[in-house]
Amino acid sequence: MSVKIALAGNPNSGKTTLFNALTGSNQFVGNWPGVTVEKKEGRLKKNTDAVVVDLPGIYSLSPYSLEEVVARNFLVNEKPDVILNIVDGTNLERNLYLTTQLTELGIPVVVAVNLIDAVEKNGDKIDISALSRHLGCKVVEVSALKGVGVEEAANAAVNAAKSGKGTKPVHRFSERVEKTLSRIQELVPLPEGQERFFAIKLFERDEKAVASLSIDPDILSKIETYIKECEQELDDDAESIIINERYTYITSIIDSCYIKKNKGKLTTTDKIDRIVTNRILALPIFAIVMFLVYFISVTTVGSYVTDWANDGVFGDGWFLFGKGSDAYEEAVGEYERSAAILEAFEAAAEEAGIEPDEAIDLVATAEIYDDEGNLEETILVDYEMYSQIGEIEEPDPSDYGTWIPGVPVLVGDFLERANTAKWLQDLILDGIVAGVGSVLGFVPQMFVLFLILSFLEACGYMARIAFILDRIFKKFGLSGKSFIPMLIGSGCGVPGIMASRTIENDSDRKMTIITTTFIPCGAKLPIIALISGAMFGGAWWVAPSAYFVGIAAIICSGIILKKTKLFAGDPSPFVMELPAYRMPTLTNLWRSTWERGSSFIKKAGTVILVATILIWTLSNFGFGENGFGMVDMNNSLLAAFGSFLAPIFKPLGWGHWQGAVASLTGLIAKENVVGTLGVLFSGANEVAENGWQVWANMREVFTPLAAYSYLVFNLLCAPCFAAIGAIRREMNNAKWTLFAITYQCTFAYAVSLVIFNIGSLISAGSFGPGTIAAFVIVAVLIYLLVRPRAGSKVKRKAIASA
Amino acid sequence: MKEFLMNNLSTIIISAILLFIVVSVIYRRIAGKKAGKSSCGCGCSSCEAYSICHTVNKK
Repeated sequence: MSVKIALAGNPNSGKTTLFNALTGSNQFVGNWPGVTVEKKEGRLKKNTDAVVVDLPGIYSLSPYSLEEVVARNFLVNEKPDVILNIVDGTNLERNLYLTTQLTELGIPVVVAVNLIDAVEKNGDKIDISALSRHLGCKVVEVSALKGVGVEEAANAAVNAAKSGKGTKPVHRFSERVEKTLSRIQELVPLPEGQERFFAIKLFERDEKAVASLSIDPDILSKIETYIKECEQELDDDAESIIINERYTYITSIIDSCYIKKNKGKLTTTDKIDRIVTNRILALPIFAIVMFLVYFISVTTVGSYVTDWANDGVFGDGWFLFGKGSDAYEEAVGEYERSAAILEAFEAAAEEAGIEPDEAIDLVATAEIYDDEGNLEETILVDYEMYSQIGEIEEPDPSDYGTWIPGVPVLVGDFLERANTAKWLQDLILDGIVAGVGSVLGFVPQMFVLFLILSFLEACGYMARIAFILDRIFKKFGLSGKSFIPMLIGSGCGVPGIMASRTIENDSDRKMTIITTTFIPCGAKLPIIALISGAMFGGAWWVAPSAYFVGIAAIICSGIILKKTKLFAGDPSPFVMELPAYRMPTLTNLWRSTWERGSSFIKKAGTVILVATILIWTLSNFGFGENGFGMVDMNNSLLAAFGSFLAPIFKPLGWGHWQGAVASLTGLIAKENVVGTLGVLFSGANEVAENGWQVWANMREVFTPLAAYSYLVFNLLCAPCFAAIGAIRREMNNAKWTLFAITYQCTFAYAVSLVIFNIGSLISAGSFGPGTIAAFVIVAVLIYLLVRPRAGSKVKRKAIASA
Repeated sequence: MKEFLMNNLSTIIISAILLFIVVSVIYRRIAGKKAGKSSCGCGCSSCEAYSICHTVNKK
């Protein structure tokens, strides 16, 4: 017999964790309410006949938001065979409100008291059998996270479903209310088994219930008379009467079933929240946390691993476990120094027209550069020094330890031995290896970032950020609800944009869709890491500033847009239950990190690979003296196209074709910006021998200020095609999509222009038309930020005349 | 012709492999899009919007 089990419960009570435990699925579990916005299905692990449906969290069967409608419709209309109601044992009182409603649906209910381990840890006790008696259904103890009681819950649900007996509600309202409910039941033919549920809903004047029953208007007016009589007698409105009586009943259950050890005392979560969500400290703490997230992932821990990836895996090679690395580095340093001395002296001798062995009075200057092309040392070389060095031999790394050659070396050797054509070697080494390698080189930083973000999500801090930002957002007419999509968007913009559909207010939802991609997604991390590491030498402030630029862009855009007629109106109220702080499990952390990180590796091996082949081809072919064929990069088709676009970006400080083309290829996928730069700069000036040398070549074209302007433009401009598609779907309107893309690009252009030109004025004192344009933009931005809201004058006048 | 093929055999084989990879990547992307698979940058099981994303694509 096939059984359908519905998992229902309050938001963040652990439904998805239990769903995963019951079905062996790997659905996303987040420690904030509202993670599940649609129902999900899976089959019970040990009984494949049983289908488990994970529903979005709901507080009651009187739905207000989209996800609550989804859950209620399923429970009421599709009538599952059994409801497995997950209640948070640490917050029993609030969770039981829904339970009292579920028992009225005429469907068998099994209550699973989750987080029982946390209850025990707090020293609290729940009398399960008494609870079962009070609720009139089977109650089991569960710790979904630790897998305790999961099988028992599943068996209880299957048995209850097979029995086919709907749970009979034990709870009775006051005599006056029960009398009205009976009169309603007598008046209207209600769905079988759900008579009590619908009678209560009609009493509460639930519009959806009224609409679903298609009741005769005369009968409806009679019902209204009964309700009004009852309201007058009890001196309250119908909905409040029901709510109050339910809570009175729940309080009586709690008093008899729940023994709290530290009644009235603050829990650990409360204590942490007193600091973390403190009115004054919350914002600085948030700023420090986010600063640390990007500082650790991009500048410190992530940077060490990325250096290894760029210099080792995508460079010459690396020593296994680093053994022999120091000695080899020293030998290489010595060799390069000696080679530079010999080279400088021999070049000077050649210039003087004498043999080096005879240049006794000659003095030359040798310049020593580091791996990144920076001048490290200048040495004066005389004949004595030259003759002392004599013959030198390049050190062989395999003499110093277990040497593993890098990918370019292995691939290059293979292609050389296979005797492939020069163009194919160039395509593979300067195109694929340089392009894909430059993206993969930043994957370690991406993993560290995802790991930290996953930890912050799972422990419960991210939910606090939404709460903290709501306070600020509210002041500017925005809703904290907008932060949830942005939170999700820090992994990938597409689900972030989609999560905006939980915002009921249409203008707030549209505004959130437009601004969500301002938060740097994972794909933008390689751009941040590249600019931070290669252009600013790993300066501590660059990577964290990218996040704060995103937040500032959201706030400024919110204020600007909210003041237009298109987005005018009060923000949606934001009510969010803050979850308890939890120590996330390593499995969950790793799964979340791996899922996100591995997608980027996969993308590098597919989309980025194809894109780099295309970029290399277009940047190496063009019309030369002998017609179409392989040409110098600057004469290629791509250079011609890029040069056409480049003047647009000149006021932003990077009016060269490489930058323009790379930004454009970011539309395919944002990490493609780095991949394209990798291809375009791998053969420029000096042929790059490792990842970092590519970026040394890049520094010849970008000044630090231009690089920062480039970073900001690419962070804020139109997202990738996948995200644009998501915007189109969520807006469901081509004009709105066009508006969103135009706004993002214009805003990005304006901010980058201001950064470059005012930055140039401050740092180098340069003044020009760009500086004037920058000041005009700043003035316009200030005006748009401080001007009165659209319609506020009318409102004020109306108030005054009233 | 035979001599040309023999002299450039490695180039031809590697080029053919590359071409196959490119064509299969493009084909799979198009097929995936038609099948309602998302093209976003995160894995589905770690995604909060997994269910709504695929619901939309199926439509």
